[in-house]
Amino acid sequence: MKCTRCRKTAHVSLPSHHSGFCADCYPLFFTKQVETAIRREKMFTREDRILVALSGGKDSLALMLELKLQGYNVTGLHIDLGIPNSSDKARKKVEDFCALHALPLRVFEMAAWGLPIPDVKQYVKRPVCAVCGRLKRHHFNRIAVEEGFDVLATGHNLDDEVARLFANTLRWDTAYLSDQGPVLPASDGFVRKVKPLFRLSEFETANYAFLKGIEIHSDPCPYSGGASFTAHKELWGELEHRSPGQKLQFYQSFLKQGKPAFARLEKETGVKLAPCTECGSPTSAEVCAVCRIKAAVRESKAQAE
Amino acid sequence: MIIVNLEPDGKRIELNDTRSVLAVLNKLRLRPTMALVARRGELLTSDRKLVHGDELLVRKVTSAG
Ligand SMILES: [Zn+2]
Ligand SMILES: [Zn+2]
Repeated sequence: MKCTRCRKTAHVSLPSHHSGFCADCYPLFFTKQVETAIRREKMFTREDRILVALSGGKDSLALMLELKLQGYNVTGLHIDLGIPNSSDKARKKVEDFCALHALPLRVFEMAAWGLPIPDVKQYVKRPVCAVCGRLKRHHFNRIAVEEGFDVLATGHNLDDEVARLFANTLRWDTAYLSDQGPVLPASDGFVRKVKPLFRLSEFETANYAFLKGIEIHSDPCPYSGGASFTAHKELWGELEHRSPGQKLQFYQSFLKQGKPAFARLEKETGVKLAPCTECGSPTSAEVCAVCRIKAAVRESKAQAE
Repeated sequence: MIIVNLEPDGKRIELNDTRSVLAVLNKLRLRPTMALVARRGELLTSDRKLVHGDELLVRKVTSAG
């Protein structure tokens, strides 16, 4: 196969775009997809201060590097979950990466805040992944708001988005279907959230990370017993193989035709948000879920001692 | 014979009678857009031919979680 752009030998083949690219031209394709996402969805401008959530996985690091190369004002935020033999590795990866590319980084430690994830696993009855995700989103938003960032960017790719949309559709979860998308506008104490990689598949991001020398081998979280989305991703991989382009079409058609209808429905039946009486974060209850989790862990811990 | 280093599994596999990247992927039951294939640090598309003794990196791209 030859490069669609320069006719040299291709190194990456993209059936969904009917094209292939050599190692030099591929990053240009990637850049164009990110530019298109930012422009069409009006995600942010070069004047905005952007906080990028960095997990240590290939997607968030690729996003951070690409936004920096495009001249955006980016700061990384990594949350150290405090999981033994795991969080320290992820943190070091993020720190080394940011040092190598001279990228500003701040780290928030769950243990220093008083709630390392092992405590959540031990003292909270609910699935640890759901609670952990909730805590991370809480702190990403809180820090973005408190420190005056204009927007929070995450490395979610097309496969993440389609797997989530598919799961929500299987349950016909109106609340999620009404506000899932590459841009979540700021409202009621929530900073604007954007996903600039939403047009790119996991394969496309992995190729970019490889060519940019981002070490993409990352250990899965020791607490996630085979994440639920993995099966959906495989199913969609098979669909995409049979009809290339299906994934992006499914997602974009949802944004255009499905989401507005769910949003109207949710407007009639949705809940009103007010600041949490403990921490000030927006919530539909008096005390937000995060403050309730923290109190529950404190209580169970005291009882156990 | 082709040697495959499979990631993230960390397995080393030897394949006989395999002359293209696509044949390697088929034997591993992987679709071309589900894994990266590289030889000596260079990415290969699935139509590329292989020769006896080639050592490949095959890295599945689906991240858990
Ligand atoms: Zn080229
Ligand atoms: Zn609260």
